[in-house]
Amino acid sequence: MGFTTVLSLARYLFYIILLVPVAVGVVGVMLPAVGFFPALEQHSLSSEPITRLLAYPGIAKMAGLSLFTALLATLIAFIGTVALLAQFYQRKWLGLIQHGLSPVLAIPHAAAAIAVAFLLAPSGGAARVSAAVTSTALPDTDSLMYDSFGLVIVLALAIKELPFMLLMALGILSQPSVKQRLEGQMRVAQSLGYCHQTSFLKIVFAQLYRQLRLPILAVLAYASASVEIPLILGPQNPPTLAVAIVQWFNYTDLSMRFQASAAAILQVLVTLAAVTVWLIGEKIWQWRFCQQLASGNRRWGSVFVKLLAGILLVCFTLATILLVLSMVGYSVAGYWPFPDLAPVQLTLLHWRSALQALSQPISNTLIMGFVSTSIAVILVLLFLENEQQSDIKRASTSLADKLLFIPLMVPGVAFLYGLVWVRQWLFADALWVPVILAHLIYVIPYVFLSLAVAYRQLDVRYVHVASSLGKSPCQIFLSVKLPILFAPIMVALALGAAISFGQYLPTLLVSGGRLATVTTEAVAIASGASRRLTAVYALMQMLLPLLGFVLAWWLPTFLFNPAKRANASAKRNPAC
Amino acid sequence: MLVLEDVAIQLKSQILLQVNAVIKPGEIVTLMGPSGVGKSSVLAAIAGLLPETFRLSGKIILNQHNITNMPAHLRHTGLLYQDALLFEHLDVTGNIVFAMPGKKHRDKKQYARQLLEQVGLGEMAQRPVSTLSGGQASRVSLVRTLASEPAALLLDEPFSKLDSATRHSTRQWVFEKIREAGLPALLVTHDEEDAAATGDKIIKV
Repeated sequence: MGFTTVLSLARYLFYIILLVPVAVGVVGVMLPAVGFFPALEQHSLSSEPITRLLAYPGIAKMAGLSLFTALLATLIAFIGTVALLAQFYQRKWLGLIQHGLSPVLAIPHAAAAIAVAFLLAPSGGAARVSAAVTSTALPDTDSLMYDSFGLVIVLALAIKELPFMLLMALGILSQPSVKQRLEGQMRVAQSLGYCHQTSFLKIVFAQLYRQLRLPILAVLAYASASVEIPLILGPQNPPTLAVAIVQWFNYTDLSMRFQASAAAILQVLVTLAAVTVWLIGEKIWQWRFCQQLASGNRRWGSVFVKLLAGILLVCFTLATILLVLSMVGYSVAGYWPFPDLAPVQLTLLHWRSALQALSQPISNTLIMGFVSTSIAVILVLLFLENEQQSDIKRASTSLADKLLFIPLMVPGVAFLYGLVWVRQWLFADALWVPVILAHLIYVIPYVFLSLAVAYRQLDVRYVHVASSLGKSPCQIFLSVKLPILFAPIMVALALGAAISFGQYLPTLLVSGGRLATVTTEAVAIASGASRRLTAVYALMQMLLPLLGFVLAWWLPTFLFNPAKRANASAKRNPAC
Repeated sequence: MLVLEDVAIQLKSQILLQVNAVIKPGEIVTLMGPSGVGKSSVLAAIAGLLPETFRLSGKIILNQHNITNMPAHLRHTGLLYQDALLFEHLDVTGNIVFAMPGKKHRDKKQYARQLLEQVGLGEMAQRPVSTLSGGQASRVSLVRTLASEPAALLLDEPFSKLDSATRHSTRQWVFEKIREAGLPALLVTHDEEDAAATGDKIIKV
């Protein structure tokens, strides 16, 4: 099989993996929603599941809660992203912020939720610090946790969404053609008397937003159907719609699956409503913004941006320090009464017992992460190579970039259960393959987003030179492109592994609970059991992806780096 | 010998440039003209690297073989740009070994060192390419191209990024090596001095 054939096959496989499971899964959920479920002896269509769902007490509140938390969290993350960019664009601090926030992107949602719970619990990190300052002896009875408006959900979602949006924006702004043009325009705006922040808002942001829209909508869609964060932090009476759907699907009474499927369709409508509200808001904002563009106001938004960016930085830094300290503290705590800031006794017992219990889940997590990420990176690299070699570049580029967001836009609860049904029907005995496939649906888009910019930016003249030296396209791909792109490939591997490590619903559902991972175990233990063990589990969840990123940053300094080898050799032989 | 028979570059229906030339072994023909007329596209067309937005008509004949529709990597047309474009994941020797045809790695390494010594760059064999100066990088780039045993050389403003002192010596050196190797070469430039230094035919477009 020739290289060109491999590339064409990779292209088809890329689209198939992204689209077919989602489409099949959605159909698999839609049919029970209209009463058709042969496995439960239901062979005719009926509106009963929908009627039952609409009569369910609190259903409107559940949907409203999902809508409200998603929109507010996305809005906060978006405003925060814009403020940080406007304040620090073209400044040294932006690089520091980027490096500081990147690890947050790698933290699974469940771990982030557990961390926020440690911070805001009645006897959590924040309460202990506040008690130490105010000399209080007892924990506050009022806590934000499980509040009926889902404000803690909003906070946790925003903490996870902001780094994603910021890194996506920086990816767009770092493209050479865009960078050069926008930096020039920023200089022109400043020479016309606009201050730094206003120049960014009126010039850069106005052009950046169009390209940032899809990632924002993906974030919004995800937030509207997120399960882990509301499950750990949200109200339970009623919970958000996605959490309720998971609970109904998992009921021992199988007839609840009809109602759950109908609710999954409602979830799609809630997600669509969230996207519609955002787009309407965007239109209103656009109208106001156009008026502002012509106002001539040279300092518009600058005070707000400065203030917000400063507050965000301080809050993020303080919260991160408190989160890490309280989680590490609990993981090694023996006796730790309130309001002490540090445990009275220290013990490694929780680590020992957790590591013992987690040995199998860790191994499952690593195998699944390694296999799914390797497949995803190979597939994405071949897809991008195919794009460069064929003349479909422009059309394919825009199509691939849009299709990527389908698995991210369609709520997991709306297709994963359908996928489970299909799996049980067609591959009842398979375990690893369907789970890896389910992970791939989520891993591929992130790997693609991480790799595409670097791959498309590679100076095509290297390829031309190698070609003129007599190297075939396959040799150029293996011996020139991959080594030159080694660093971004390693980052894509680390990101893909982090995404795979964090998958809760796909792992739990598609494996039917038979494959335990660190994330599924962490979510299970977070709902009760011991706070100390939960801390160890959540820290493990954070450490695994971070380890991947450390490797991704460290390996390129040694491999495919003659400059580093020459330095090392010079150090070994100083006399030479 | 490199023969260009009515080679025309078209963008949509418009002909950007049409060239007829016969370049003998050791001869360096210059294609001169202002930016944007399609000079570099002619080189890309000869190398088989013309983007598909352009159309090529005419015939390209290299050593009696019609290479007009041949894949780029089978044409044996060495290409030099204004940037040396040395592969940074390889050291100097690695870059030259990469270009050599054939399979035996050990022999290739030894031969690469010989090539570097022949041109007075022996001391740089182990150096990371990022530590080379502009002139050194240009020389290594030419050695690399010659190591691939090309049948013709295509030079796309290869001296335009060098400072005036380095430019003069590098240019003399490169032309000398091309003549020694007996290769037909096509130089694209808008610099009159570069063109005059070849002492050969100049095609103005």
